[in-house]
Amino acid sequence: MSTVLKVSNLEVDFIAAGTVINTPLRGINLEISSGQTLGIVGETGCGKTLTATSIMGLLPSSAIQRGSIEFAEHGLVNAADMADIRGSEITMIFQNPQSAFNPIFTIGTQLHMVAVRRQIARNKIEQLLHARLRSVGLNDVKRVMNSYPHELSGGMLQRCMIAMALISTPKLLIADEPTTALDATIGHQVLGLIRSLQQSEGFAMLFISHDVSAVAKVSDVMAVVYAGRVVESGPTQDVMNNPQHPYTKGLLGAIPSAKKPRGELTAITGNVPSSLKALTGCSFAKRCTSADAQCLGEPPIIQIKEQVIACWKVAP
Amino acid sequence: MSKSVMQISNVSKKFPIRDSKNLFTAVDEISIDLMEGEVLGVVGESGSGKSTLARCAFGITTPTSGSITILGQSLAGKSRKSTRELRSNLGFVFQDPAGSINPRMSVYDAISEPLKLRGDSTDHINERVTFLIDRVGLASNQLIRKSHELSGGQCQRVAIARALATNPKIVLLDEPTSSLDLSVQAQILNLLEELRRDFNLTYFMISHNLDVVAHLSDRVAVMKDGKFVEVGTSTAVLTHPEHPFTRELISVYSQDLDISPALPANFNLDHWQDGPLNKWAFQNISAFLPIEEIAPAIKPVDLISAPLAGIEELSIAAEGQEYSLPQILAETHTDALIVLRNGKVAFEKYFNGMHQDSVHLLQSVSKSILGALYSNYIEKGVIDLDKTLGHYVPELKSSVYGQATISQALDMTVALSFSEDYTDSNSEMARLDRACGWRNNFTDQDQGLSSFLPTLTANGSHGKYFQYCSANTDALAWVISRVMGKPYSELIEAELWKPMGASNAASITLDQEGLAVGNGGISCTAHDLALFGQLVLNEGSFNGQQILPKAWVNATMSGASKEVAVPAYLSSLYPEGSYKNQWWVTGSKARELYAVGIYGQYIWIDPSTETVIVKMSSIPIPVDPAHSRMHMSLFRAISALQ
Repeated sequence: MSTVLKVSNLEVDFIAAGTVINTPLRGINLEISSGQTLGIVGETGCGKTLTATSIMGLLPSSAIQRGSIEFAEHGLVNAADMADIRGSEITMIFQNPQSAFNPIFTIGTQLHMVAVRRQIARNKIEQLLHARLRSVGLNDVKRVMNSYPHELSGGMLQRCMIAMALISTPKLLIADEPTTALDATIGHQVLGLIRSLQQSEGFAMLFISHDVSAVAKVSDVMAVVYAGRVVESGPTQDVMNNPQHPYTKGLLGAIPSAKKPRGELTAITGNVPSSLKALTGCSFAKRCTSADAQCLGEPPIIQIKEQVIACWKVAP
Repeated sequence: MSKSVMQISNVSKKFPIRDSKNLFTAVDEISIDLMEGEVLGVVGESGSGKSTLARCAFGITTPTSGSITILGQSLAGKSRKSTRELRSNLGFVFQDPAGSINPRMSVYDAISEPLKLRGDSTDHINERVTFLIDRVGLASNQLIRKSHELSGGQCQRVAIARALATNPKIVLLDEPTSSLDLSVQAQILNLLEELRRDFNLTYFMISHNLDVVAHLSDRVAVMKDGKFVEVGTSTAVLTHPEHPFTRELISVYSQDLDISPALPANFNLDHWQDGPLNKWAFQNISAFLPIEEIAPAIKPVDLISAPLAGIEELSIAAEGQEYSLPQILAETHTDALIVLRNGKVAFEKYFNGMHQDSVHLLQSVSKSILGALYSNYIEKGVIDLDKTLGHYVPELKSSVYGQATISQALDMTVALSFSEDYTDSNSEMARLDRACGWRNNFTDQDQGLSSFLPTLTANGSHGKYFQYCSANTDALAWVISRVMGKPYSELIEAELWKPMGASNAASITLDQEGLAVGNGGISCTAHDLALFGQLVLNEGSFNGQQILPKAWVNATMSGASKEVAVPAYLSSLYPEGSYKNQWWVTGSKARELYAVGIYGQYIWIDPSTETVIVKMSSIPIPVDPAHSRMHMSLFRAISALQ
């Protein structure tokens, strides 16, 4: 299996008036092989979406990016190279399908625009769009194409967005919270669709979500991010069944279920730090029940079989 | 036994529909009692009426009919003052915490507002707010903050404090944690449980998240189309669901993510019916064609198993050679085979990835289902056999169906210009497939059955010749759907699938305008199709009731009049064979009756030995006389077993 995407030591600073005001990414390392799904899980403000934006080369001008991104046969890529790759070899689906489409054009028109931009022969476009919409389970193609975004349900729109992202047969699909804005039932259907498309079409996927169960369902490998760092990564089965990092354990303990006694879910106390500027040592230490003075130092990287954990308190 | 704190009796809520005189029923005659201290979780899909029910129950909207009693007092017909007093027993927590708190109010103002409205003294208000802010786990220095300065979890804590301000007995939790991160959700769920215990609160909770509902609720009510389809303890409902909808809801939620099959790489809408694509396509119609579901019975019929000795060892003589059962099943590309003898399962075997619960396309066996469905409406006098199809569907008046009668269409004696050639992409059959959405249609013609069927013209006089034509059945499906004013799928569900006790949902494909493809679009399980066969064998009586008219079954078994000429392909196979009421009849002494679909789909009924055989297949080509003869030999050999 060849590596499609390799992110090394990705750091992002935000600058205002010449000084660094926040360092939301503090050294992210990720690797995705072809045909594989990497799930990134973490809470609001941990840097999930920012990681995706950095990879796509879409950071605002107030941000400074360090570290390296390698993509498929392009090797090392910078934001300028990304302009050609973005939208063709790497495509993205977003959280809120209602706001991702332009409200004044029909879905058909918007899909057409993408196909034209991707230089697909005019006489092939219609057929391709029909096939794409069918492949995402929208069989009433004519109606969908003639509809404006507000005329379709959230689930249908999200399917349209997936169809749009697949027009160019990308090597990598970045899915940023694709089911969060949908109700649970529809969300699960969309998850199933994404997973089966990924398996039949063979693209690699970066799946971002705060929902641990969604990540567990679609990903082959997963990375748990906290405060701009990957605190634990490894094969999804291993991380879910045998979490090592205290933060991962806390997250999994917080999933409600009938089996856990009421009122006794493991709740991680406190909040995600709002600014990571000048944060040293383990960023989770403040909320961690096992933390002590040692945790003020940069945590070591521990490897247990295929799991990689950044923590002082995990024995190798 | 704890006492009831809220009684919801026969509550309905209807809304007017724009540009229509009809009303939309959001909540339909719901009754339920909330017991003191319990957590009732209401689940269901978006639009099922959960929120409307809650709004009625908590006096935010007035129900169209029915009554709400809170702590023994009715919510309706009170003065504003006493309504307000009664309402102080109710608290509300909504989904979007930031949106439900006025951005210009401080936390203190937000929590104290209900108390001010009630006219409490300032001292009391201060004391109460300080108590509440502490109870929900916030520091008192947060009181001067505004909602935008708080995190989502903190906002939700403020909303909870505000809901509890007036010391309510019953609190509405409308998706209380759906906008929160997992670890914050856990904090809020823990807090809600702690408060419930300490203040003896009763929760009416609405959520999509079945994990949250399972964790917090004592009882669960499952809502669909404005009704409760299932109510029970949360363990019972969520681990042993009774109602098919609950089962579906739970299975969608907890599924392994491989149930919605993506299309195979070589998929092509022009060739999916042929091998090898049909091996996948016949079991996965819903992956590429629009369908409408036919729901199963709430109490399905379980067939008893009574294996018949000798089936596995059968030797079948066909096409000049001897086949063993496995050989002939492989030769005819079998996907499923079920044999019923005396109403019991004598043999059942699945191939090509199928299992008991998998559905398979029936092709023209669907026609025989239409035949059975029609018998009921004819018996009821809803449909007159001697009227023309155009009489019922005016759009058909100027076509051949303006002259041909219902009876002629059912018996396929309509004389029309129509080539039923499945292999010619220019035949009328191919145009019909395009109209049904079964083939790519890049033309402006034949966009849907309602534009294709009216173009068909007569060719000869009706009632004299048997001319097998799929369009007749589509026209009949259109007629019955129009007459009854309901989708065709609903008619099959109500008249056949539910009464006979089907176990699994079936489906029928739709054209682009939503008309059902009656000629061949039904998919169902082999088991349910065998039930249907048994129903016909039993002369229409099954599952303790007369589902089809007995006389119709007998008339069908007797076949068509001898005066109707039959083509050679039928008389060479069955010298006395004919076609009646959308069923094939062999005309032999045994009075065999069968339904057949292209690519090897069969129901074979032999009344002389009380045998029903269902076979589903994916033969690579649509029609092949050798395969037809092999099937005949196979079915007769099985049927002859003692």
